[in-house]
Amino acid sequence: MIMADMVQILVLGLALGGVYALMGSGLSLVFGVMRIVNLAHPSLVMVGAYIAYWAFRLGGVDPMITLPVALVILAATGVLLYKLVFEREARSAKYSEMTVLLTFALAMVVEGALGTAFTNTQRVTSPDYATDAFFIGSVFIPKGQLYSGIVSLTIISALALFLKYSAFGNAIRATTQNRDAAELLGVNVNLVGLVSFAIGIGLAGAAGALVSFVFSFFPAKHWEWIAILMSLVVLGGMGSILGTVLAAFILSVIAAYVGFFFGATWSTLTFFVALFVVLLVRPQGLFGEKPELA
Amino acid sequence: MNDLLQVSNVVAGYGDGPAILNGASVKVESGKVHCIIGPNGAGKSTLLKAIVGMIRVREGDVTFKGESVKGLRPDQILRKGISFVPQERALFPKMTVRENLRMGGYSMRDKSELERRIDEIEERFLILKERRDQQAGTLSGGQQQTLSMARTMILKPEVVMLDEPSLGLAPKIVAEIFDIMRVMTEEGITILLVEQNALMGLKHADWGVVLDLGRTLFEGPGKEILNDPRIQELYLGGKKAA
Repeated sequence: MIMADMVQILVLGLALGGVYALMGSGLSLVFGVMRIVNLAHPSLVMVGAYIAYWAFRLGGVDPMITLPVALVILAATGVLLYKLVFEREARSAKYSEMTVLLTFALAMVVEGALGTAFTNTQRVTSPDYATDAFFIGSVFIPKGQLYSGIVSLTIISALALFLKYSAFGNAIRATTQNRDAAELLGVNVNLVGLVSFAIGIGLAGAAGALVSFVFSFFPAKHWEWIAILMSLVVLGGMGSILGTVLAAFILSVIAAYVGFFFGATWSTLTFFVALFVVLLVRPQGLFGEKPELA
Repeated sequence: MNDLLQVSNVVAGYGDGPAILNGASVKVESGKVHCIIGPNGAGKSTLLKAIVGMIRVREGDVTFKGESVKGLRPDQILRKGISFVPQERALFPKMTVRENLRMGGYSMRDKSELERRIDEIEERFLILKERRDQQAGTLSGGQQQTLSMARTMILKPEVVMLDEPSLGLAPKIVAEIFDIMRVMTEEGITILLVEQNALMGLKHADWGVVLDLGRTLFEGPGKEILNDPRIQELYLGGKKAA
Protein backbone atom coordinates (compact mmCIF):
# COMPACT_ATOMS: atom_id res chain seq x y z
CA MET A 1 0.00 0.00 0.00
CA ILE A 2 2.65 2.52 1.12
CA MET A 3 4.99 1.20 -1.56
CA ALA A 4 2.37 1.83 -4.22
CA ASP A 5 1.94 5.38 -2.93
CA MET A 6 5.68 5.97 -3.13
CA VAL A 7 5.80 4.79 -6.73
CA GLN A 8 2.73 6.82 -7.56
CA ILE A 9 4.33 9.99 -6.21
CA LEU A 10 7.56 9.30 -8.03
CA VAL A 11 5.65 8.95 -11.30
CA LEU A 12 3.73 12.20 -10.75
CA GLY A 13 6.92 14.03 -9.82
CA LEU A 14 8.76 12.81 -12.90
CA ALA A 15 5.82 13.68 -15.14
CA LEU A 16 5.86 17.28 -13.94
CA GLY A 17 9.65 17.45 -14.15
CA GLY A 18 9.54 17.30 -17.93
CA VAL A 19 7.59 20.54 -18.33
CA TYR A 20 9.74 22.34 -15.79
CA ALA A 21 12.82 21.05 -17.61
CA LEU A 22 11.61 22.52 -20.89
CA MET A 23 10.79 25.88 -19.30
CA GLY A 24 14.12 25.91 -17.49
CA SER A 25 16.28 24.92 -20.45
CA GLY A 26 15.20 27.98 -22.48
CA LEU A 27 16.01 30.20 -19.53
CA SER A 28 19.34 28.46 -19.04
CA LEU A 29 20.36 28.76 -22.70
CA VAL A 30 19.66 32.49 -22.75
CA PHE A 31 21.58 33.03 -19.53
CA GLY A 32 24.50 30.88 -20.64
CA VAL A 33 25.09 32.60 -23.96
CA MET A 34 23.94 36.14 -23.31
CA ARG A 35 24.25 36.53 -19.52
CA ILE A 36 20.65 37.75 -19.66
CA VAL A 37 18.75 36.92 -16.46
CA ASN A 38 15.40 36.65 -18.17
CA LEU A 39 12.78 37.22 -15.49
CA ALA A 40 10.24 37.55 -18.29
CA HIS A 41 10.78 33.96 -19.44
CA PRO A 42 7.71 32.48 -17.70
CA SER A 43 5.53 35.43 -18.77
CA LEU A 44 6.43 34.43 -22.34
CA VAL A 45 5.57 30.82 -21.45
CA MET A 46 2.21 32.31 -20.49
CA VAL A 47 1.85 33.88 -23.96
CA GLY A 48 2.42 30.41 -25.46
CA ALA A 49 -0.22 29.01 -23.11
CA TYR A 50 -2.77 31.60 -24.24
CA ILE A 51 -2.02 30.89 -27.90
CA ALA A 52 -2.71 27.19 -27.28
CA TYR A 53 -5.77 27.96 -25.16
CA TRP A 54 -7.48 30.15 -27.76
CA ALA A 55 -6.57 27.87 -30.63
CA PHE A 56 -8.28 25.05 -28.74
CA ARG A 57 -11.24 27.07 -27.50
CA LEU A 58 -12.03 28.80 -30.79
CA GLY A 59 -10.84 26.29 -33.35
CA GLY A 60 -10.69 23.03 -31.41
CA VAL A 61 -7.01 22.73 -32.31
CA ASP A 62 -5.07 20.25 -30.18
CA PRO A 63 -2.33 22.01 -28.13
CA MET A 64 0.19 19.51 -29.53
CA ILE A 65 -0.58 20.89 -33.01
CA THR A 66 -0.38 24.48 -31.77
CA LEU A 67 2.98 23.80 -30.11
CA PRO A 68 5.20 24.33 -33.18
CA VAL A 69 3.17 27.42 -34.08
CA ALA A 70 3.65 28.87 -30.59
CA LEU A 71 7.35 28.01 -30.83
CA VAL A 72 7.74 29.95 -34.09
CA ILE A 73 5.65 32.93 -32.97
CA LEU A 74 7.60 33.25 -29.73
CA ALA A 75 10.96 32.75 -31.47
CA ALA A 76 10.06 35.62 -33.82
CA THR A 77 9.08 37.67 -30.79
CA GLY A 78 12.48 36.79 -29.36
CA VAL A 79 14.23 38.20 -32.43
CA LEU A 80 12.26 41.44 -32.12
CA LEU A 81 12.91 41.75 -28.39
CA TYR A 82 16.60 41.09 -28.88
CA LYS A 83 16.94 43.68 -31.62
CA LEU A 84 14.83 46.32 -29.85
CA VAL A 85 15.87 45.88 -26.26
CA PHE A 86 18.83 43.62 -25.52
CA GLU A 87 21.29 44.24 -28.33
CA ARG A 88 21.54 47.97 -27.64
CA GLU A 89 22.64 47.41 -24.07
CA ALA A 90 25.02 44.54 -24.82
CA ARG A 91 28.12 46.73 -24.50
CA SER A 92 27.26 47.86 -21.00
CA ALA A 93 29.60 46.61 -18.31
CA LYS A 94 26.62 45.98 -16.03
CA TYR A 95 24.74 44.00 -18.67
CA SER A 96 23.51 41.14 -16.48
CA GLU A 97 22.35 43.53 -13.77
CA MET A 98 20.58 45.71 -16.32
CA THR A 99 18.81 42.75 -17.86
CA VAL A 100 17.28 41.91 -14.47
CA LEU A 101 15.54 45.29 -14.50
CA LEU A 102 14.73 45.17 -18.19
CA THR A 103 13.19 41.71 -18.06
CA PHE A 104 11.34 42.51 -14.83
CA ALA A 105 9.71 45.42 -16.64
CA LEU A 106 9.06 43.22 -19.65
CA ALA A 107 7.35 40.62 -17.45
CA MET A 108 5.04 43.29 -16.01
CA VAL A 109 4.19 44.59 -19.48
CA VAL A 110 3.40 41.09 -20.76
CA GLU A 111 1.33 40.31 -17.66
CA GLY A 112 -0.59 43.57 -17.99
CA ALA A 113 -1.24 43.03 -21.68
CA LEU A 114 -2.47 39.46 -21.11
CA GLY A 115 -4.66 40.58 -18.20
CA THR A 116 -6.18 43.38 -20.27
CA ALA A 117 -6.82 41.17 -23.25
CA PHE A 118 -7.98 37.98 -21.55
CA THR A 119 -8.91 39.01 -17.96
CA ASN A 120 -7.55 37.29 -14.88
CA THR A 121 -9.84 34.29 -15.14
CA GLN A 122 -8.21 30.90 -14.55
CA ARG A 123 -7.93 29.00 -17.81
CA VAL A 124 -6.99 25.51 -18.77
CA THR A 125 -6.96 23.81 -22.15
CA SER A 126 -8.89 20.57 -21.94
CA PRO A 127 -8.17 18.13 -24.73
CA ASP A 128 -9.49 14.60 -23.96
CA TYR A 129 -6.15 13.27 -22.78
CA ALA A 130 -5.75 16.08 -20.22
CA THR A 131 -8.26 14.41 -17.90
CA ASP A 132 -7.47 10.79 -18.74
CA ALA A 133 -4.92 8.42 -17.24
CA PHE A 134 -3.13 5.12 -17.80
CA PHE A 135 -3.22 2.54 -15.04
CA ILE A 136 -0.37 0.17 -14.29
CA GLY A 137 -1.64 -1.94 -11.41
CA SER A 138 -2.82 0.63 -8.88
CA VAL A 139 -0.43 3.32 -10.14
CA PHE A 140 -2.02 5.88 -12.43
CA ILE A 141 -0.19 8.07 -14.90
CA PRO A 142 -2.13 11.15 -16.03
CA LYS A 143 -1.98 11.14 -19.83
CA GLY A 144 -1.65 14.90 -20.09
CA GLN A 145 1.43 15.00 -17.86
CA LEU A 146 2.91 11.92 -19.50
CA TYR A 147 2.53 13.34 -23.01
CA SER A 148 3.83 16.76 -22.01
CA GLY A 149 6.81 15.09 -20.33
CA ILE A 150 7.61 13.02 -23.42
CA VAL A 151 7.26 15.98 -25.78
CA SER A 152 9.44 18.13 -23.48
CA LEU A 153 12.19 15.54 -23.38
CA THR A 154 12.00 15.11 -27.15
CA ILE A 155 12.45 18.85 -27.70
CA ILE A 156 15.26 19.06 -25.15
CA SER A 157 17.03 16.09 -26.78
CA ALA A 158 16.75 17.76 -30.18
CA LEU A 159 18.28 20.91 -28.66
CA ALA A 160 21.07 18.89 -27.04
CA LEU A 161 21.90 17.11 -30.33
CA PHE A 162 21.92 20.43 -32.16
CA LEU A 163 24.30 21.95 -29.60
CA LYS A 164 26.60 18.93 -29.57
CA TYR A 165 26.83 18.01 -33.25
CA SER A 166 26.08 20.99 -35.49
CA ALA A 167 28.72 23.59 -36.28
CA PHE A 168 26.44 26.41 -35.19
CA GLY A 169 25.52 24.52 -32.03
CA ASN A 170 29.21 24.18 -31.25
CA ALA A 171 29.61 27.91 -31.79
CA ILE A 172 26.80 28.50 -29.28
CA ARG A 173 28.51 26.29 -26.69
CA ALA A 174 31.87 27.90 -27.38
CA THR A 175 30.40 31.38 -26.94
CA THR A 176 28.85 30.29 -23.63
CA GLN A 177 32.18 29.02 -22.36
CA ASN A 178 34.51 31.72 -23.63
CA ARG A 179 33.03 34.57 -25.60
CA ASP A 180 36.32 36.33 -26.44
CA ALA A 181 37.94 33.12 -27.63
CA ALA A 182 34.96 32.29 -29.83
CA GLU A 183 35.19 35.72 -31.41
CA LEU A 184 38.92 35.33 -32.01
CA LEU A 185 38.24 32.09 -33.87
CA GLY A 186 35.81 33.79 -36.22
CA VAL A 187 32.47 33.16 -34.54
CA ASN A 188 29.97 35.95 -35.09
CA VAL A 189 29.02 36.21 -31.43
CA ASN A 190 26.28 38.73 -32.12
CA LEU A 191 24.49 36.31 -34.41
CA VAL A 192 25.03 33.50 -31.89
CA GLY A 193 23.41 35.72 -29.25
CA LEU A 194 20.43 36.51 -31.47
CA VAL A 195 19.83 32.89 -32.48
CA SER A 196 20.22 31.55 -28.93
CA PHE A 197 17.83 34.16 -27.63
CA ALA A 198 15.28 33.27 -30.31
CA ILE A 199 15.62 29.54 -29.53
CA GLY A 200 15.28 30.20 -25.79
CA ILE A 201 12.12 32.28 -26.21
CA GLY A 202 10.79 29.80 -28.78
CA LEU A 203 11.19 27.05 -26.17
CA ALA A 204 9.16 29.21 -23.78
CA GLY A 205 6.38 29.23 -26.37
CA ALA A 206 6.56 25.47 -26.81
CA ALA A 207 6.49 24.97 -23.05
CA GLY A 208 3.47 27.27 -22.91
CA ALA A 209 1.45 25.01 -25.20
CA LEU A 210 2.18 22.07 -22.87
CA VAL A 211 1.60 24.06 -19.69
CA SER A 212 -1.83 25.10 -20.99
CA PHE A 213 -3.27 21.65 -20.30
CA VAL A 214 -1.04 20.61 -17.38
CA PHE A 215 -1.76 23.55 -15.09
CA SER A 216 -4.59 26.02 -14.86
CA PHE A 217 -3.18 29.48 -15.48
CA PHE A 218 -3.91 33.21 -15.34
CA PRO A 219 -1.64 36.12 -16.29
CA ALA A 220 -0.01 36.69 -12.89
CA LYS A 221 0.88 33.05 -12.39
CA HIS A 222 4.28 33.53 -14.05
CA TRP A 223 5.66 34.99 -10.80
CA GLU A 224 5.21 31.61 -9.17
CA TRP A 225 7.06 29.94 -12.05
CA ILE A 226 10.01 32.31 -12.20
CA ALA A 227 10.86 31.46 -8.61
CA ILE A 228 10.73 27.75 -9.39
CA LEU A 229 12.72 28.14 -12.62
CA MET A 230 15.41 30.21 -10.94
CA SER A 231 15.92 27.46 -8.37
CA LEU A 232 16.29 24.93 -11.21
CA VAL A 233 18.83 27.04 -13.06
CA VAL A 234 20.84 27.68 -9.89
CA LEU A 235 20.81 24.03 -8.81
CA GLY A 236 21.75 22.93 -12.33
CA GLY A 237 24.66 25.39 -12.47
CA MET A 238 23.96 28.72 -14.17
CA GLY A 239 23.85 28.18 -17.92
CA SER A 240 24.16 24.38 -17.92
CA ILE A 241 21.18 22.91 -19.78
CA LEU A 242 21.87 19.34 -18.69
CA GLY A 243 22.10 20.56 -15.09
CA THR A 244 18.81 22.42 -15.39
CA VAL A 245 17.05 19.33 -16.75
CA LEU A 246 18.39 17.11 -13.98
CA ALA A 247 17.49 19.72 -11.38
CA ALA A 248 13.96 19.88 -12.77
CA PHE A 249 13.45 16.15 -12.29
CA ILE A 250 15.14 15.96 -8.89
CA LEU A 251 13.25 18.90 -7.42
CA SER A 252 9.89 17.95 -8.93
CA VAL A 253 10.13 14.51 -7.39
CA ILE A 254 11.18 15.90 -4.01
CA ALA A 255 8.37 18.47 -4.19
CA ALA A 256 5.90 15.66 -4.92
CA TYR A 257 7.03 13.75 -1.82
CA VAL A 258 6.95 16.88 0.30
CA GLY A 259 3.39 17.47 -0.91
CA PHE A 260 2.41 13.94 0.05
CA PHE A 261 3.90 13.96 3.54
CA PHE A 262 3.35 17.57 4.60
CA GLY A 263 0.51 18.75 2.40
CA ALA A 264 0.39 20.43 -1.02
CA THR A 265 0.92 23.90 0.47
CA TRP A 266 4.47 22.95 1.37
CA SER A 267 5.49 21.38 -1.90
CA THR A 268 6.44 24.66 -3.65
CA LEU A 269 8.63 25.49 -0.68
CA THR A 270 10.92 22.65 -1.79
CA PHE A 271 12.26 24.81 -4.63
CA PHE A 272 13.08 27.75 -2.39
CA VAL A 273 14.71 25.64 0.28
CA ALA A 274 16.76 24.02 -2.49
CA LEU A 275 17.74 27.47 -3.75
CA PHE A 276 19.01 28.51 -0.31
CA VAL A 277 20.82 25.26 0.35
CA VAL A 278 22.53 25.24 -3.06
CA LEU A 279 23.71 28.83 -2.68
CA LEU A 280 25.10 28.05 0.76
CA VAL A 281 26.68 24.68 0.09
CA ARG A 282 27.50 24.49 -3.59
CA PRO A 283 26.96 27.88 -5.25
CA GLN A 284 28.19 26.62 -8.63
CA GLY A 285 25.32 24.09 -8.73
CA LEU A 286 25.57 20.61 -10.19
CA PHE A 287 27.45 21.44 -13.38
CA GLY A 288 28.42 25.10 -13.08
CA GLU A 289 31.82 26.72 -12.94
CA LYS A 290 33.21 27.48 -9.51
CA PRO A 291 32.46 31.15 -8.86
CA GLU A 292 35.50 33.38 -9.07
CA LEU A 293 36.59 34.79 -5.76
CA ALA A 294 37.35 38.26 -7.01
CA MET B 1 60.45 45.99 -48.23
CA ASN B 2 59.72 42.40 -47.45
CA ASP B 3 58.13 43.02 -44.07
CA LEU B 4 55.15 40.72 -43.64
CA LEU B 5 53.56 42.69 -40.85
CA GLN B 6 54.34 46.22 -39.96
CA VAL B 7 53.16 48.25 -36.99
CA SER B 8 53.95 51.94 -37.35
CA ASN B 9 53.68 54.51 -34.57
CA VAL B 10 50.54 52.99 -33.13
CA VAL B 11 48.62 54.81 -30.40
CA ALA B 12 45.94 52.72 -28.69
CA GLY B 13 44.20 52.11 -25.35
CA TYR B 14 41.16 50.45 -23.81
CA GLY B 15 37.79 52.08 -24.44
CA ASP B 16 38.04 55.82 -23.82
CA GLY B 17 40.82 55.31 -21.31
CA PRO B 18 44.36 56.67 -21.53
CA ALA B 19 46.63 55.51 -24.33
CA ILE B 20 48.66 52.44 -23.38
CA LEU B 21 50.58 52.42 -26.64
CA ASN B 22 52.25 55.71 -27.48
CA GLY B 23 53.84 55.28 -30.85
CA ALA B 24 54.87 51.63 -30.85
CA SER B 25 56.47 50.25 -33.99
CA VAL B 26 57.37 46.68 -34.88
CA LYS B 27 58.48 45.11 -38.14
CA VAL B 28 57.80 41.43 -38.61
CA GLU B 29 59.84 39.59 -41.21
CA SER B 30 58.54 36.47 -42.88
CA GLY B 31 59.59 33.12 -41.40
CA LYS B 32 61.28 34.44 -38.28
CA VAL B 33 60.59 34.38 -34.56
CA HIS B 34 60.14 37.84 -33.08
CA CYS B 35 60.02 38.46 -29.39
CA ILE B 36 58.63 41.58 -27.74
CA ILE B 37 59.97 42.14 -24.26
CA GLY B 38 59.62 44.92 -21.74
CA PRO B 39 58.74 45.55 -18.11
CA ASN B 40 55.23 45.19 -16.67
CA GLY B 41 52.80 47.68 -18.13
CA ALA B 42 54.98 48.37 -21.17
CA GLY B 43 52.04 47.61 -23.47
CA LYS B 44 53.21 44.25 -24.84
CA SER B 45 49.85 42.48 -24.67
CA THR B 46 48.06 45.64 -25.72
CA LEU B 47 50.16 45.74 -28.87
CA LEU B 48 49.03 42.24 -29.89
CA LYS B 49 45.41 43.09 -29.12
CA ALA B 50 45.69 46.24 -31.24
CA ILE B 51 47.07 44.26 -34.18
CA VAL B 52 44.28 41.69 -33.98
CA GLY B 53 41.55 44.32 -33.70
CA MET B 54 40.43 43.62 -30.15
CA ILE B 55 41.13 47.23 -29.30
CA ARG B 56 40.94 50.22 -31.62
CA VAL B 57 44.06 51.74 -33.13
CA ARG B 58 43.69 55.50 -32.58
CA GLU B 59 46.73 56.66 -34.53
CA GLY B 60 49.38 55.07 -36.68
CA ASP B 61 48.89 52.08 -38.95
CA VAL B 62 49.08 48.30 -39.10
CA THR B 63 49.87 46.79 -42.49
CA PHE B 64 49.91 43.14 -43.48
CA LYS B 65 51.54 42.28 -46.83
CA GLY B 66 51.56 45.96 -47.67
CA GLU B 67 47.84 46.42 -47.08
CA SER B 68 46.38 48.28 -44.11
CA VAL B 69 44.47 46.02 -41.72
CA LYS B 70 43.72 48.76 -39.24
CA GLY B 71 40.11 48.76 -38.02
CA LEU B 72 39.35 45.17 -39.05
CA ARG B 73 37.50 42.88 -36.62
CA PRO B 74 39.32 39.93 -35.02
CA ASP B 75 37.56 37.42 -37.30
CA GLN B 76 38.60 39.41 -40.38
CA ILE B 77 42.20 39.53 -39.20
CA LEU B 78 42.03 35.77 -38.69
CA ARG B 79 40.87 35.26 -42.28
CA LYS B 80 43.79 37.37 -43.51
CA GLY B 81 46.12 34.80 -41.94
CA ILE B 82 47.03 36.17 -38.51
CA SER B 83 46.17 33.95 -35.53
CA PHE B 84 46.33 35.08 -31.92
CA VAL B 85 46.70 33.00 -28.76
CA PRO B 86 45.87 35.27 -25.83
CA GLN B 87 47.43 34.92 -22.40
CA GLU B 88 44.49 33.03 -20.91
CA ARG B 89 44.82 30.46 -23.74
CA ALA B 90 41.26 30.90 -25.01
CA LEU B 91 40.10 27.31 -24.73
CA PHE B 92 36.54 26.07 -24.25
CA PRO B 93 36.92 24.16 -20.97
CA LYS B 94 33.78 22.03 -21.24
CA MET B 95 34.29 21.03 -24.85
CA THR B 96 36.48 18.08 -25.75
CA VAL B 97 39.98 18.45 -27.15
CA ARG B 98 38.73 17.45 -30.58
CA GLU B 99 35.83 19.95 -30.40
CA ASN B 100 38.29 22.66 -29.44
CA LEU B 101 40.38 21.84 -32.50
CA ARG B 102 37.25 21.90 -34.61
CA MET B 103 36.43 25.39 -33.33
CA GLY B 104 39.89 26.40 -34.54
CA GLY B 105 38.66 25.78 -38.07
CA TYR B 106 35.24 27.33 -37.55
CA SER B 107 35.83 29.79 -40.37
CA MET B 108 36.69 27.00 -42.85
CA ARG B 109 33.99 26.27 -45.40
CA ASP B 110 35.15 22.79 -46.36
CA LYS B 111 34.36 20.65 -43.32
CA SER B 112 35.97 17.45 -44.66
CA GLU B 113 39.17 19.42 -45.24
CA LEU B 114 38.84 20.60 -41.63
CA GLU B 115 38.61 17.02 -40.33
CA ARG B 116 41.69 16.14 -42.40
CA ARG B 117 43.62 19.05 -40.89
CA ILE B 118 42.60 17.99 -37.39
CA ASP B 119 43.86 14.45 -38.09
CA GLU B 120 47.19 15.87 -39.26
CA ILE B 121 47.50 18.01 -36.15
CA GLU B 122 46.68 15.03 -33.95
CA GLU B 123 49.43 13.01 -35.63
CA ARG B 124 51.91 15.75 -34.88
CA PHE B 125 50.81 16.30 -31.29
CA LEU B 126 50.06 12.80 -30.09
CA ILE B 127 48.99 13.93 -26.65
CA LEU B 128 46.03 15.65 -28.29
CA LYS B 129 45.09 12.44 -30.07
CA GLU B 130 45.34 10.51 -26.83
CA ARG B 131 43.14 13.03 -25.02
CA ARG B 132 40.79 13.83 -27.87
CA ASP B 133 37.55 13.05 -26.00
CA GLN B 134 38.65 14.62 -22.75
CA GLN B 135 37.31 18.03 -21.71
CA ALA B 136 39.90 20.72 -22.36
CA GLY B 137 39.45 22.15 -18.86
CA THR B 138 40.79 18.93 -17.35
CA LEU B 139 44.12 19.08 -19.22
CA SER B 140 47.31 20.19 -17.47
CA GLY B 141 48.57 23.72 -18.06
CA GLY B 142 51.19 22.56 -20.56
CA GLN B 143 48.70 20.42 -22.46
CA GLN B 144 46.27 23.32 -22.60
CA GLN B 145 48.98 25.55 -24.06
CA THR B 146 49.86 22.83 -26.57
CA LEU B 147 46.21 22.59 -27.55
CA SER B 148 45.77 26.31 -28.04
CA MET B 149 48.96 26.56 -30.12
CA ALA B 150 48.15 23.47 -32.17
CA ARG B 151 44.66 24.83 -32.74
CA THR B 152 46.00 27.91 -34.52
CA MET B 153 47.81 25.65 -37.00
CA ILE B 154 44.51 24.26 -38.34
CA LEU B 155 44.01 27.35 -40.47
CA LYS B 156 47.63 27.33 -41.73
CA PRO B 157 48.13 30.95 -40.71
CA GLU B 158 51.06 33.02 -41.92
CA VAL B 159 51.58 34.73 -38.59
CA VAL B 160 50.90 33.38 -35.11
CA MET B 161 50.98 35.82 -32.22
CA LEU B 162 51.51 34.34 -28.77
CA ASP B 163 50.94 36.26 -25.56
CA GLU B 164 53.17 34.85 -22.81
CA PRO B 165 52.78 31.18 -23.68
CA SER B 166 55.13 30.21 -20.84
CA LEU B 167 53.08 31.93 -18.14
CA GLY B 168 52.58 29.72 -15.09
CA LEU B 169 54.30 26.69 -16.57
CA ALA B 170 57.18 24.65 -15.12
CA PRO B 171 60.58 25.15 -16.83
CA LYS B 172 60.49 21.69 -18.42
CA ILE B 173 57.07 22.40 -19.92
CA VAL B 174 58.24 25.81 -21.10
CA ALA B 175 60.94 24.06 -23.11
CA GLU B 176 58.23 21.97 -24.78
CA ILE B 177 56.29 25.11 -25.65
CA PHE B 178 59.37 26.53 -27.39
CA ASP B 179 59.71 23.21 -29.22
CA ILE B 180 56.21 23.69 -30.58
CA MET B 181 57.21 27.13 -31.74
CA ARG B 182 60.08 25.57 -33.63
CA VAL B 183 57.66 23.14 -35.28
CA MET B 184 55.58 26.14 -36.31
CA THR B 185 58.50 27.91 -37.92
CA GLU B 186 59.39 24.71 -39.77
CA GLU B 187 55.89 24.89 -41.24
CA GLY B 188 56.77 28.38 -42.45
CA ILE B 189 54.77 30.19 -39.81
CA THR B 190 56.09 33.56 -38.69
CA ILE B 191 55.94 34.10 -34.96
CA LEU B 192 55.40 37.22 -32.93
CA LEU B 193 55.86 36.43 -29.28
CA VAL B 194 55.37 38.46 -26.13
CA GLU B 195 57.42 37.26 -23.17
CA GLN B 196 57.73 38.38 -19.58
CA ASN B 197 60.64 35.99 -19.29
CA ALA B 198 62.96 38.07 -21.49
CA LEU B 199 65.94 35.73 -21.24
CA MET B 200 63.95 32.72 -22.36
CA GLY B 201 62.16 34.62 -25.10
CA LEU B 202 65.22 36.27 -26.61
CA LYS B 203 67.22 33.06 -26.56
CA HIS B 204 64.73 31.52 -28.97
CA ALA B 205 64.07 34.61 -31.06
CA ASP B 206 65.70 35.81 -34.26
CA TRP B 207 64.67 39.36 -33.55
CA GLY B 208 63.99 41.17 -30.31
CA VAL B 209 61.93 44.28 -29.72
CA VAL B 210 62.12 46.19 -26.45
CA LEU B 211 59.00 48.05 -25.44
CA ASP B 212 58.63 50.47 -22.55
CA LEU B 213 55.85 52.92 -21.66
CA GLY B 214 54.05 52.08 -24.89
CA ARG B 215 56.99 52.97 -27.12
CA THR B 216 59.56 50.92 -28.97
CA LEU B 217 62.87 51.60 -27.22
CA PHE B 218 65.13 49.63 -29.52
CA GLU B 219 65.27 46.41 -31.47
CA GLY B 220 67.80 44.06 -32.96
CA PRO B 221 68.84 40.42 -33.34
CA GLY B 222 67.75 38.38 -30.30
CA LYS B 223 71.27 37.48 -29.14
CA GLU B 224 72.47 41.09 -29.34
CA ILE B 225 69.54 42.43 -27.36
CA LEU B 226 70.23 39.77 -24.76
CA ASN B 227 73.66 41.24 -24.14
CA ASP B 228 72.68 44.88 -24.43
CA PRO B 229 73.49 46.76 -21.21
CA ARG B 230 70.28 48.75 -21.57
CA ILE B 231 68.34 45.56 -20.90
CA GLN B 232 70.06 45.16 -17.58
CA GLU B 233 69.08 48.70 -16.71
CA LEU B 234 65.48 48.25 -17.76
CA TYR B 235 64.97 45.03 -15.87
CA LEU B 236 67.26 45.29 -12.92
CA GLY B 237 66.75 48.92 -12.08
CA GLY B 238 69.87 50.81 -13.03
CA LYS B 239 73.62 50.45 -13.27
CA LYS B 240 74.12 49.22 -9.74
CA ALA B 241 72.56 45.88 -10.53
CA ALA B 242 74.80 45.30 -13.56
